[in-house]
Amino acid sequence: MKRSYLYFLGTLIFIGVLIFPHFVSNYIIHIAVLILIWSYVSTVWAYMGRFGLVSLGHGAFLGIGAYTSGLLFNNFHLTPLVGMFIGGIAAAIVALILGYACFRFGVIGDYFALVTLALAEVIMLLIIALREFTGGSLGFTLNKMGNSFLYLSSDSKIFFYYLALAFVILSILIWKKIDKSKIYKAMRAIGEDELASASLGINVIKYKVIITIISAFLTALGGSLYGQYITYLNPHTLSGVGVSLDIAFKAILGGMFNIWGPTVGTILIVTMEETFRGIFGSHFIGVSEVLYGIALICFIIFLPKGIYGTIVNKLSKK
Amino acid sequence: MLNLIINAIINGILLGGVYALLAIGLNLLFGVLKLIHLAYGQFVMIGLYILYVLVVNAGLPFWAAAIITIIVTGILGIIVHILIVQPLLDAPRLNQLLALAGLIIVFENLSMVIWGADYRNIQMSLPVVAVGGFYIRMSYLIAFIGGLITLGLLYLFLYKTYLGLSIRAISQDLEGVELMGVNPKVNFYVTMAAGGILTGIVAVFFAPIYAVHPHFGSSFTILAFIIVVLGGMGNLLGGFISAFIMGVVTSVAAFLTTSEIADIIAMLIFIGVMLVRPQGIMGIREAR
Repeated sequence: MKRSYLYFLGTLIFIGVLIFPHFVSNYIIHIAVLILIWSYVSTVWAYMGRFGLVSLGHGAFLGIGAYTSGLLFNNFHLTPLVGMFIGGIAAAIVALILGYACFRFGVIGDYFALVTLALAEVIMLLIIALREFTGGSLGFTLNKMGNSFLYLSSDSKIFFYYLALAFVILSILIWKKIDKSKIYKAMRAIGEDELASASLGINVIKYKVIITIISAFLTALGGSLYGQYITYLNPHTLSGVGVSLDIAFKAILGGMFNIWGPTVGTILIVTMEETFRGIFGSHFIGVSEVLYGIALICFIIFLPKGIYGTIVNKLSKK
Repeated sequence: MLNLIINAIINGILLGGVYALLAIGLNLLFGVLKLIHLAYGQFVMIGLYILYVLVVNAGLPFWAAAIITIIVTGILGIIVHILIVQPLLDAPRLNQLLALAGLIIVFENLSMVIWGADYRNIQMSLPVVAVGGFYIRMSYLIAFIGGLITLGLLYLFLYKTYLGLSIRAISQDLEGVELMGVNPKVNFYVTMAAGGILTGIVAVFFAPIYAVHPHFGSSFTILAFIIVVLGGMGNLLGGFISAFIMGVVTSVAAFLTTSEIADIIAMLIFIGVMLVRPQGIMGIREAR
């Protein structure tokens, strides 16, 4: 009874999400696209996060993805449809090297967070240092292509809305796929007791590296998508510590252990940012961000399982 | 060419003194309390802004402003402890880290609201002295000496007083310390206050060297972490030596290439040390 009710509600929400952009202004669609892109990125971040691999360096993968596909497109006229996969592979290679090194030497928990934080900073500095190709701190603008699906370029925001929606659905499907796979069982066991699972013959390093590579590859795709949408790449908005923390915050706030948690967190944070900006915007630049930061701290202190996670836990206990 | 490189090395050594000063407070918090204080650089930034207001806007003499700044940052440390660290003491350590990262957003934007994005420095220029063809900046030299004195005082506090002993004991075994009749709450307060005071001292010595702006903090936080990890967490002497290593490495690398490459090299050293030798160059591996 209750289950069918949930399905009905889910279908209703899905239909609402599908037809929604045809009834609202361009500004609302823009915010919705941002929500979808960051939902996707924070969901694939949570692939790792929910198993205790909290990375504060996903800005690195985001930056690699966006800059690889963007530079290939601008310099060699390569379509981002191909470019984003090359970027994804580049990010996966970085993830393989860093992941293997970290897990081989047993770097876990907050130390893993610190190492990945340094990685994000390295990639950002690298982008700035290679300023002949990347435009340095000033970034660069993607060449105009008009409307072309082949080049993932469009003047209409609705195009990107559906594209980003497809990415979010993909990330949810992959989450479910992981849940059914051997990786999930292995990672759960490792999360419970790493030593015991290793002694039972689970290849701890292998599974951790696999999940890191999947997450990095998909994050890079998201970076490329974001670059195509904004059509302007800047090292500070696509890489570095700030973005990496933002991604993690969104997933943690919503609840990284639940499949819809990161999405709920993203909706909440982006809406909060835009609302605060709407209230304070022209008067005090920064006040909105201060309130946003305070709200974040409060959420971390009082709802450590995340908002969606806490609600789901409460409901399932009843 | 060789002359210039030697000059870069001398600069690096003096810079190392400045870095050592920067890292001492973090060494106390990260090394002793195991608190990953991501907003550490922002504390220094707030200290610099307070000093700026007191000297430029209120017209106080520098020494008076310096004392007030150090007291205020100490109080700020206690406030942050009560509001953020205390409620999260029993939570996973990652939550502490994230809450303090949230504090970065608050501090950076708060100073953006109050002081704007301009670079501000107290108009105090110290001379550059030429010794035998090499140029030495007095402001660096003063910070260098200040770092030595601060380190000495902190050492005396941690190793010669009862309070210091109990703080060090907490970092080893919290439950055991409680059984010995020490109230860890008091010690946490004292350590956070000391951490705040140290950021105030850093701000005082940094004031003649750097101009402050809202995004001043983050690069210094990372730098301080690099130094503390390289030297071995909680190892004051190790932190001091690694500060000089980092000073010379970044100074020479920045001279030979660009400052970004120098920063990248610093980060890679950090990652490498975290992976291969997390106990630092001088540390002893302890069971976690």
